[in-house]
Amino acid sequence: MEITPFLILSAGLISIGLYGIMSKKNLLKLLISLDIMDVGVNLLIVTVGYLPGGTAPIMDGDYGKYVDPLPQALVLTAIVIGVSVLALGMILTIRHYRRTGSLEMDEGGVFGW
Amino acid sequence: MVVHPTLLIVLPLVGAFSVSLIRRYGGGAIKLYGSAYLFLNLIISAVLFMEVRSGGEVTERIAGYSPPVGIFLAVGAVNAVLVLLINLFAAFNYLTFNPKDKEPFHRFTVLYLLGVASSSGIVLTGDLFNMFVFFEIAAVSSYALVASSKDERSVGSAIKYMILGSVGSTFMLISIALIYSELRTLNLYDIAHRIGEMGGAVRTAAFTFLIVGIGVEAEIFPFNGWVPGVYGRSDGNISSFLVLGPSKAAIYAILRVLITLFYGSSSRAVMMDIAMVLGLITLVVGEVAALSEKDPKRMLAFSSIGQMGLILIAISLGSAAGIVAAVFLMVSHASVKSALFLSSDVYRQGGMRYTLTGALSVGAVLGLVGMPPFAGFWGKWYLLSGAADEGLWIVIAAVIFTTAVEAYYLARFLSRGLSMKKRGGVKPTRVITMTVMVGVSLLVGLFASVIYEMVSAGVTTLLSGGI
Repeated sequence: MEITPFLILSAGLISIGLYGIMSKKNLLKLLISLDIMDVGVNLLIVTVGYLPGGTAPIMDGDYGKYVDPLPQALVLTAIVIGVSVLALGMILTIRHYRRTGSLEMDEGGVFGW
Repeated sequence: MVVHPTLLIVLPLVGAFSVSLIRRYGGGAIKLYGSAYLFLNLIISAVLFMEVRSGGEVTERIAGYSPPVGIFLAVGAVNAVLVLLINLFAAFNYLTFNPKDKEPFHRFTVLYLLGVASSSGIVLTGDLFNMFVFFEIAAVSSYALVASSKDERSVGSAIKYMILGSVGSTFMLISIALIYSELRTLNLYDIAHRIGEMGGAVRTAAFTFLIVGIGVEAEIFPFNGWVPGVYGRSDGNISSFLVLGPSKAAIYAILRVLITLFYGSSSRAVMMDIAMVLGLITLVVGEVAALSEKDPKRMLAFSSIGQMGLILIAISLGSAAGIVAAVFLMVSHASVKSALFLSSDVYRQGGMRYTLTGALSVGAVLGLVGMPPFAGFWGKWYLLSGAADEGLWIVIAAVIFTTAVEAYYLARFLSRGLSMKKRGGVKPTRVITMTVMVGVSLLVGLFASVIYEMVSAGVTTLLSGGI
């Protein structure tokens, strides 16, 4: 399978992101971890639709073997959502920093009450 | 088809993106404009409800592509009730916001309308990726709404909510990628009937990621770390919106996943058991944490976690009685818990002493505990009878135990609230909204047969992998 390396890479990226989210308390590091995780998932979606040797999905006789176009549409949506969540996260972080003067999360870790 | 279900999503979106056009006419005009869309939505969802009640399910194809290729909206008995519930309370809840507190009010209205549109979208859609997109819109508008609260600390809670919520939606996306890689379809009902074709390990992974992903938003233990902070620091009317909108939509999404999406899966019984265990833990942990909490808003937040656990238990019974119980519990929780959150803002000002707010809070507490004429009673009744049918005595014990705990801390909440010295008044809009909420809970309880007959007629097709 030609797609195996990509699957491993995406699993690795998701794990790195998840590790960052579980272990860090600095908000900027948390947002970066979130973004790494996002990239990993986007890679997974693209890989899912990938066909070794496939071309762009063009309706033409010369392009018989093409990759699945749907995951690419999904990934576009996912990227846009990821960027907007990240932007909102930055805005909230700035407001949090202005109020408290710190970039640490204020009520315990991510998973605590 | 008298009304198009799509309008329920499209109208608030139109309202949200056109509201800045009238911003120079001031907060009052903006509020009128936003309410117009919300009440129009309420009328449409009521017509849709009547239509489903008389004629069964309603479906609508988007852009003329037929499923499984195109996206379609599928309205059955359960989500017709839920979409009416969300739009009814969301419209009245909007009235409680004061434009002067929420400057600039047109931006606030954008967030609120997006929240309503996406909550309706989650409930109506028949497509998995579409559901994910609506989840994201609901989540992003919730984060921003929480951060707009008076309490400055709410920004910190919103960040925590955002991080957990984003992890959840990433997990949901992983699950969607896994399902798509095996089945090449995203239509919920198409997946439901072909899920047996998936490999066992991939299917288990997809199920786990999906439950974790939605569980964050649906306040399921242990993914609910954001709940006490968010509900504890937000304004009461923002908390009440989160309770009646996004969180109800999320728990309904869990119903879709458990009952419909994994319909044809051979390991469905195990999945139901896992969900039931999660529900039991959520119920007991939430209620016990509420008992030891002093702050009224945080106490209501923990109580909310417990209630969501109760709904999850009802869903994971997987029987007709369980679905009926889940619907009643959703109605009950969305109505009376929202009313209590509305009263929580005037709690410390003694706004509950010798006032209609106090009387309504008493009604809401009775409804939440599950006293007879209220909707919550029927929810617990059908849940207990459904559990008894299957001999699940641990569920019965847990429900009775937590009801006692709930009665104790809610009585404590009331007695403190009613004895606080009076220092301020309550806005009349808030009293009207609370009256509607408690009134709906009471009416649904008194005329339980209307909902019961409608849901139990639709539940047969639902349990056989239909809409």
